[in-house]
Amino acid sequence: MAFNFNWSPLIADTSRARDMLTAALNKSPKPPIIVDDIIVNELNLGSTPPELEILEIGDLAEDRFRGIFKMSYTGDAFLTLKTKVQANPLNTYLSAKPDFASPQPLAAASGLTIPLQITLSDIKLSGFVILVFSKQKGLTLVFRNDPLESLKVSSTFDSIPFVRDYLQKEIEGQLRVLFMEDLPAIIHRLSLRLWSPEFQELELEKEEEERLDSSRYTTVPVDPLTTPPQDAVDAFGNPLDESQISDLSLDPTEVHASFSQKNILRLAALSGSNHTLSLFTPGIRDAVFRAWTGPSERLEAGINTPPLTLSSLSRIQSSFGSIKSHASSVASDGTGNETVSSRPSLSSYNSVTAGLNLGANRGRPTRRRKKRVVNLRKDRTEAESSELPTPAPSASVSEATESVLPEEEDLDTPPKSPTRGTRFELDIRESAPVSNEILPSVEIPTSTPILSGPPKSKSRKETSRPSVEKSYTSRPPLAHTRLQATSPLLRSLSFDRISSLSASSSKGPLSPNSCSESTSGGILEQAWMQKMAMEIARKVQHEKDRVARGESPRKAAATGGMWESDEVGEAPPAYVA
Amino acid sequence: MLDFMDHVQQAFYEASHWNLDNSYGSLNATARALLDFQTPRGLRLQISSLAAPNFATSYTLGSVGVVDGSVSYLYSSLPLTRSFRSSDLHLNHVIRGYRHLLDLRRPDEKWWWEVWHGGRRIDRRDTLLYGRIYLPQSTLEALYLRRLSPTRQLKISAVSDSSMNHGGTILALLQNDYGKYSTEYMYSTDSALMGIRGLYNFGVDPRVKPSKPSNSPDITEQNNGRFSAGAELYYGLLNKSGGISTGLRFTTLPNHTGFPYTMTLTMNPLMGNLSSTYAVKAGQNLALCSRFDFNFYSYESELQLGCELWRRRNSSADVEWTRKKLRPDWERANVTSDDDVSGVLKAHVDQNCRIGLLWEGRIKELLFSLGTSLDLKKREQIFRAVGIELQYSS
Repeated sequence: MAFNFNWSPLIADTSRARDMLTAALNKSPKPPIIVDDIIVNELNLGSTPPELEILEIGDLAEDRFRGIFKMSYTGDAFLTLKTKVQANPLNTYLSAKPDFASPQPLAAASGLTIPLQITLSDIKLSGFVILVFSKQKGLTLVFRNDPLESLKVSSTFDSIPFVRDYLQKEIEGQLRVLFMEDLPAIIHRLSLRLWSPEFQELELEKEEEERLDSSRYTTVPVDPLTTPPQDAVDAFGNPLDESQISDLSLDPTEVHASFSQKNILRLAALSGSNHTLSLFTPGIRDAVFRAWTGPSERLEAGINTPPLTLSSLSRIQSSFGSIKSHASSVASDGTGNETVSSRPSLSSYNSVTAGLNLGANRGRPTRRRKKRVVNLRKDRTEAESSELPTPAPSASVSEATESVLPEEEDLDTPPKSPTRGTRFELDIRESAPVSNEILPSVEIPTSTPILSGPPKSKSRKETSRPSVEKSYTSRPPLAHTRLQATSPLLRSLSFDRISSLSASSSKGPLSPNSCSESTSGGILEQAWMQKMAMEIARKVQHEKDRVARGESPRKAAATGGMWESDEVGEAPPAYVA
Repeated sequence: MLDFMDHVQQAFYEASHWNLDNSYGSLNATARALLDFQTPRGLRLQISSLAAPNFATSYTLGSVGVVDGSVSYLYSSLPLTRSFRSSDLHLNHVIRGYRHLLDLRRPDEKWWWEVWHGGRRIDRRDTLLYGRIYLPQSTLEALYLRRLSPTRQLKISAVSDSSMNHGGTILALLQNDYGKYSTEYMYSTDSALMGIRGLYNFGVDPRVKPSKPSNSPDITEQNNGRFSAGAELYYGLLNKSGGISTGLRFTTLPNHTGFPYTMTLTMNPLMGNLSSTYAVKAGQNLALCSRFDFNFYSYESELQLGCELWRRRNSSADVEWTRKKLRPDWERANVTSDDDVSGVLKAHVDQNCRIGLLWEGRIKELLFSLGTSLDLKKREQIFRAVGIELQYSS
């Protein structure tokens, strides 16, 4: 194994590092002798790289690294600082003292500020460095000990030995602080700028554009997960313009992809076949159909349906904040459907929409978090080998689990409490051998806590909006979610049945290669029927509840039947959005 | 505006016949009062009381973002007779402005202080003890002041603060005032700073009685003004650094016939700093001051201008007609000029367009000082600080 540390790009452009150093030097309270901002005039990292000796590597993966190095540096780097200093020692001494016990000299403490230029050179460092890198969290570099061995401080006052010694001492002290405290922060921020989209978004618009452009055109093997789509269209097939594409920011942690129109149509057909219980499954290459259950995608499904124009099926988990507020605003605006809001969080729904949120990266060991991304673009390197003669989409029904713990998805987590819903998820892989994984997924986004209040149920409501008939026309065909919630009693009754059903259904046909379309269709149908049965049961219970609360069941019926009653009075999510 | 406790200390100095102005440290007190006044920040309330002539308490509560406060007590062995009630104290006692220097007073004879009773000397030295704790910082200030002799005073001030280097600092100051000249010796525990100050007044020596008791014209002429020169020298034993400055002052005395004025020139030869001030009391209600600083090493210069405007209450119209009816030869119950001051407006500006405004005065029973500091160069944030301070004392 070899590491290739590339020193030369580091020394190429130091302007940004200079700015950050300037900011870091001026951030902390300065000693009273320094009366002006410290400006980093010149920063040259030199041509000699530091010597690194690997002592220990704790973690190593494509996008993560953790190791301990022994570093020694005796290079020709130098740093020139400019500032103004207070030359009167009495002034600096008194400025830090309380007035009450100060001698309060008349004019002996009057100041004399002198511009000062300090050059730090012959920096000798040696120490143990702990380096932690992850693509998501950036680069963290910590010195385990005080690395500064010696340095040479030359300043305007070299001719005065007292001042020279003083400066040498002061600057060494400051530099030790810098190395131990500020430098890790600077490096971390720099690395975040390089890799993290949140920081990139904070960058100036111009820089953003440049960076996007460069990354677009320089990446030779097009990786749809990391580059903006080249033939991106929105949900209606209109090509996205540049600005919209740039909004699909590159995000290593939240990978997006957009769809070509062709694939959209296919997916629409797939979804349509689902809705109609048809057994027809359009051929989508490199696709794995997977049943997903769990509450976590509700929110996202809700999010996804309204703003279909931009990042039609891309997923931005970091946008949960806006979703939250969005959902809660819906809740406050809503008609206050108590039955919905008072329902426990165990309701489930049949989501084919969310089925498009695919775990393209699921198979990779390094990615724990589920990326619901459809990568329909072929990876050029793997395309040939992974092409399958006949796409074998298959679906499986798995027992859904739900947990309110805000933990990352962990496939091994035992189900805490099953929901009665099944969701089908389409898992399309680039190089996928068709595999039906049964994932008792506990996929909980970090925003899970918000699922536990009225806003949650509201957002769940929202997800239920794109119902069958609408999804054909105005939404990507995948948006079929049906809210289902039951009273606790009914749930407890139906739970056993359904879990056993789903368990039985998921056990049989699920060996990866034995899936056929018919079986998958059967499973789909089965799940759908369960779903419908439960829905009806829920509605009945719902009505009962209403009667129990003294509401007239006729009222709901008069407005269009019990099926509509849930949806009456709520704006379609598109408007809410 | 002076803090209540500072006011009490001033009263102690006055009662013990200590001339604060005859010190090198107060050489440019006039210029500092007119140019370097502090504008209050935030809201500050002070309630204080001279419960007994020897004992004073004061509580302050301030809010500059966070709420803080202080509690202070003062004990004086010398009964203080000045009125400290905020409703009727003299405003010019608590508002520092142009300082009228008085004729030098001859120091008391030592035997004046002696009190004998039953064949034993029972007189005690006047002492002042003062302590203040700031909360929640838990900073403690303490002061011990003792008049050792008619010409000597010892002042020990200490600050205890856990955030300081050695947990606090103590400053001992021994002051001698012989009228004609004064000397001060000081030692600070912080970096073992030692200092010496001296001030010499040219002109007549107050200790020497005029040979001719008759008021000859020479003496009155000489007493028109006073020329003083002084110097200070500091040296820190631990940090091996020091400071030096010299200063000159000319000020008019009360029997000067024209408008009063004060000129000072201070110089720091080590740091090349030269500072000259000129303050003039242009009228009964107006004082102006300017200061010019110049550093002949760095060629930096600075100019500051300041003024203070005293607003006096018009005699009330209700009783004006009675005054007119008074016969001219009757002695009028002249309210002194101090009594009818209703407020003082102070302003200073420097060449960087930094302005400080302060309005101090009295409303009903409350003393207030309302101030702001402005920076005209920073367009986006002109108001640097705004504050109001309210004092009530009984």
